[in-house]
Amino acid sequence: MSRKSTLGQRLPLVDSWEKVTGRGLFIEDFRFQGMLYARTVRSAEVHAMVEEVNLDRAKQVPGFVDALVPGDAGTDVHFGVLPISEDETPLSAPRALYQGDIVAMVACEDEVAAREAALQVDVRYRPMDPVLRPKDALKETDDPLHERTVAGTNIHKKVDQEFGDPDGAFEAADFEAGGEFLFHGVNHGFTEPIGCVAVPEPNGRMSLYSATQVPHYVHRALAKVLELPMHMIRVYKPLVGGGFGGKSDPFPHEMAAALLARKTGRPVKVIFDRDEVFLNNHGRHPTQYKLKVAADREGRLLGLDAHSLIDGGAWASFGVVTTYYNGVLCQGPYRLPAFRYSGRRVYTNKPPCGAMRGHGAVNARFALETSLDVLAERLQVDPFDLREMNALPPNTTTLNHLRITSNGFVECLQRSREASGWDQKFRKMPFGRGIGLGCGFYISGSALPIHRTRTPQSTVHLKIDVDGGITIHSMAADIGQGSDTVLAQMVAETLGVSLDRCRVLAKDTDTAPLDLGSYSSRVTYMAGNAALRAAEQILDKFQKACARLTGLPAQGFQPTGEESYRYVNDPSVTVSYDDALREALADNGALIAKGIYRAPKLGGAFKGSGAGLSPTYSYQAFVAEVEVDPETGFIRVEHVWAAADVGRALNRVAVEGQIEGSVHMGLGQALSEEMKFAGGQLINGSFLDYKIPSPLETPEIDVLVVESIDPEGPLGAKECGEGALAPIIPAVANAVYDAIGVRLNEVPMTPERVLKALQDKKKAEAKAARQGGQKV
Amino acid sequence: MRLPDFQLHKPANLAQASSLLQNLEEGEFDWLGGGTDLLCNYKWRIQNRDHVISTRGIAELLDSQPGSLAAGRTLWEIEQDPVLAERYPALVAAVSRIATPVIRRSATLGGNLLLDTRCWHLNQTVEWRRAHGSCLKAEAEICRVMPDPGDVCVATYSGDLAPVLLVYGAEVELARPEADGSWQSRKISLAEFYQEDGIRRFRDKGAREILLRVHLPQEASAWTVNYQKLRLREAFDFPEGGVAAGVRWQAGRAAEIRLATTAYASIPELHPELCQGFAGGTLEESDRQALGEALMAKVRPMKNTAMSPAYRKKMAAVLCRRALLACVEAAPQP
Repeated sequence: MSRKSTLGQRLPLVDSWEKVTGRGLFIEDFRFQGMLYARTVRSAEVHAMVEEVNLDRAKQVPGFVDALVPGDAGTDVHFGVLPISEDETPLSAPRALYQGDIVAMVACEDEVAAREAALQVDVRYRPMDPVLRPKDALKETDDPLHERTVAGTNIHKKVDQEFGDPDGAFEAADFEAGGEFLFHGVNHGFTEPIGCVAVPEPNGRMSLYSATQVPHYVHRALAKVLELPMHMIRVYKPLVGGGFGGKSDPFPHEMAAALLARKTGRPVKVIFDRDEVFLNNHGRHPTQYKLKVAADREGRLLGLDAHSLIDGGAWASFGVVTTYYNGVLCQGPYRLPAFRYSGRRVYTNKPPCGAMRGHGAVNARFALETSLDVLAERLQVDPFDLREMNALPPNTTTLNHLRITSNGFVECLQRSREASGWDQKFRKMPFGRGIGLGCGFYISGSALPIHRTRTPQSTVHLKIDVDGGITIHSMAADIGQGSDTVLAQMVAETLGVSLDRCRVLAKDTDTAPLDLGSYSSRVTYMAGNAALRAAEQILDKFQKACARLTGLPAQGFQPTGEESYRYVNDPSVTVSYDDALREALADNGALIAKGIYRAPKLGGAFKGSGAGLSPTYSYQAFVAEVEVDPETGFIRVEHVWAAADVGRALNRVAVEGQIEGSVHMGLGQALSEEMKFAGGQLINGSFLDYKIPSPLETPEIDVLVVESIDPEGPLGAKECGEGALAPIIPAVANAVYDAIGVRLNEVPMTPERVLKALQDKKKAEAKAARQGGQKV
Repeated sequence: MRLPDFQLHKPANLAQASSLLQNLEEGEFDWLGGGTDLLCNYKWRIQNRDHVISTRGIAELLDSQPGSLAAGRTLWEIEQDPVLAERYPALVAAVSRIATPVIRRSATLGGNLLLDTRCWHLNQTVEWRRAHGSCLKAEAEICRVMPDPGDVCVATYSGDLAPVLLVYGAEVELARPEADGSWQSRKISLAEFYQEDGIRRFRDKGAREILLRVHLPQEASAWTVNYQKLRLREAFDFPEGGVAAGVRWQAGRAAEIRLATTAYASIPELHPELCQGFAGGTLEESDRQALGEALMAKVRPMKNTAMSPAYRKKMAAVLCRRALLACVEAAPQP
């Protein structure tokens, strides 16, 4: 390893300076000449026909310019992130599907006027019976919420999968564990509210500046809604203040803003308030989950049987994927010889749900990991031993054809067990104090692209000119996670140059090659590999330049890591980066290279076989130590040991930050975060009432980085930012059981729920005592 | 989110404030302390006024005199004051648990005592209230929490300092402008200050009247006081229930006991009748238990905050026991 290598170092992200000095431009910072300020008019009804949108009073507001209303061109065009379920429209007419659905959008000369004008828009509704409970959505109806549902119900997606012989597995089992679980919906809680500016260009093109994770999908959706070819549309992604999946769909407001910009001929800006972000949601689905797992007397897992009922809210979003992931992502990190899963995602009249960090895996993981804890107790084996005994080995294939390559799961188990002092603490601490284990694994990018084309999933362009700087063009969306830094590292490491030579331009679809965006933990792996391959082509040009300068064979020159190239058979021969570049540019001009990444063909030949396929997977084993107050039910998470196989930690501080952030976000879902509704209306759409843990609820977190060096990962790396969320929630639940002896199957585990579980336990114990039976 | 338009006035003293008030009708203006509560409400268009008078520059509100605390002092200043920490440790501890450090830099003592009542049905955006049907305190004519009869607002008072100051036996000094521009001040017991009505929150405080100071009696520092706060997060959140307990110890016995609550009603309350039977004793565990049970039986939380009324009620007993235990543990050695 060269002296100046950035690999594994603690690097500030390449965009740190512009952010910490306040110079970086987020969507709120964009202003254009003649720009109008738009404000959404949202449905006041939970479910209603929109019969009339009357602008008479709004037009009286000084500064009112125009509005987009139902019936305007393009407002009823369907779009969506998944081509198989495009059910969103820029405006919700003729039917508003939830309280907060966008009914109209007004545009005014300033923001204050826009707010006032939106309040003055009179909407006449014809209220309809809402569908609020998932179980009601399963029923047949004459009037489903969407045109395309399953057999006259409000079921959006139905998945049934079976591998091996699950019935036989449970018949043969010596032990079983499982239960019914309830998960409330959670929101991403990113810092920067959603917003965009649509700018009609003089040549008939449309530019959309948007805080998005997926410029490419926004690009496609705009083309459809505006009925323009894609080359007439430009999507520009400014700095983005967090996404976590909450900015990974093309959204109605983006479409509406573009339509309104076209209608007025002026730039139109819309920035959401926080309550609108909650109403836009696309967060983690409320889910009812039922699971059982079987084992023989030695503790070998024999089978898993899981069922989910997923409340999708008003729209499809990524819901088809969610429905599959709730099952298929249970197939690791353990060997499972038999597996059955049925999933139903339903439409209801609530804010739409979608992808959120750990998409599809989090709730199912809780059910599985807490059930394994029960199983371990019944088997009288240590939870670590049970998991290690059943761990998937490296280089294998799961029952549902997930290809497993690098796999540091066992090392994760060993590291967290040792670091946490597990063997000295488990079932040995006083009442109220407990320790628990939760594990996980997660995709490192979806191998199957959303749009089935032969276009690579990531392409990266490099340009190097006489200044010696390296421009990296990509459309991978840095949303704060540090993907720009990864791309720069790939190039800098391959060429052996300092990081400050690299400048990443990953903002503009006019200049950057296609990348599918930031979701499914794909960027480091896919865009990183593309950058690596582009840089290898530049290296080849440098090697040839070195050969021309020295007369020695090109392949003999390797980067020293100190901005020079050394001939391996004679270390006294070196060529500086500047000399190599000058020679490479001679008679040639700027060096250009292109690297692509396309996932290998994976998977079996069965319906839904593409779900969960990934070129590789991350692995986690987390331990949480908690203190539970039996009088109040409060859980205090004191310490977390988070062992995660990340392939290779390219930038240690970014990796640790991702894992710590995942733990914090997971603790929110575990302890306090919950979208609450009254009659279908969200009642806690603010950061005061939606309870994201404060720093004072954040425990000590020891991140234990495990490096399995993935054979296909860019310099060995794989994902680290999503899989780390899921294990902490069951780890806390299992620790609570160790502390106070109650199992909590409803998440978040609020003090009230903990206290109720304790009281139920006491009642059951008292009843058993009265009946002369055993303690429960 | 932008604040709606209003005219901000920044008088430097009471005389300037008096001049301002001569041109303003009641209901036309609001007083602004730190703004950490009022401006949030304004953004949500809750009872916005056209004029806002900032008290931050009013010299008289920054003037603490011996035995009193100026209402304009920020919570941060109180938290950092070593003399107050020595004399009234429970007050400083309660201050340090309000909101967040950033908010405490702006928020004031007066603002916390005068904190507006809160409710699920009120503290929402104007669009939310329109969709939901609004409430008695905002734009409608019926209370959504207690629709029958619905003519009284039961929004919850959530200030943290009132129960502590009630236990310390505090008085508040109010000042009212006279026709000649001078100010007339008066002192009233904090226990007599509030009234149980989420809209008309004070017994006889006029809109033009301003909270100047909080007076603590000479003997207040002799009390052992503890405040227990129920909330989901250790920062940020208003109390879902709060109990302050105070004991005046005499020769190892609880010569006097006081209990006060917040976030259990539209008013912070002293509960002298609960404590009567325990004065003169040593507050043994059984006493603390009994007091806790009695308090739990008395409080009637409404369904208008994050936690359920049943849980908050149950927790009243726990908070009470813990506050009393802390007082026992901190009792001066006889």
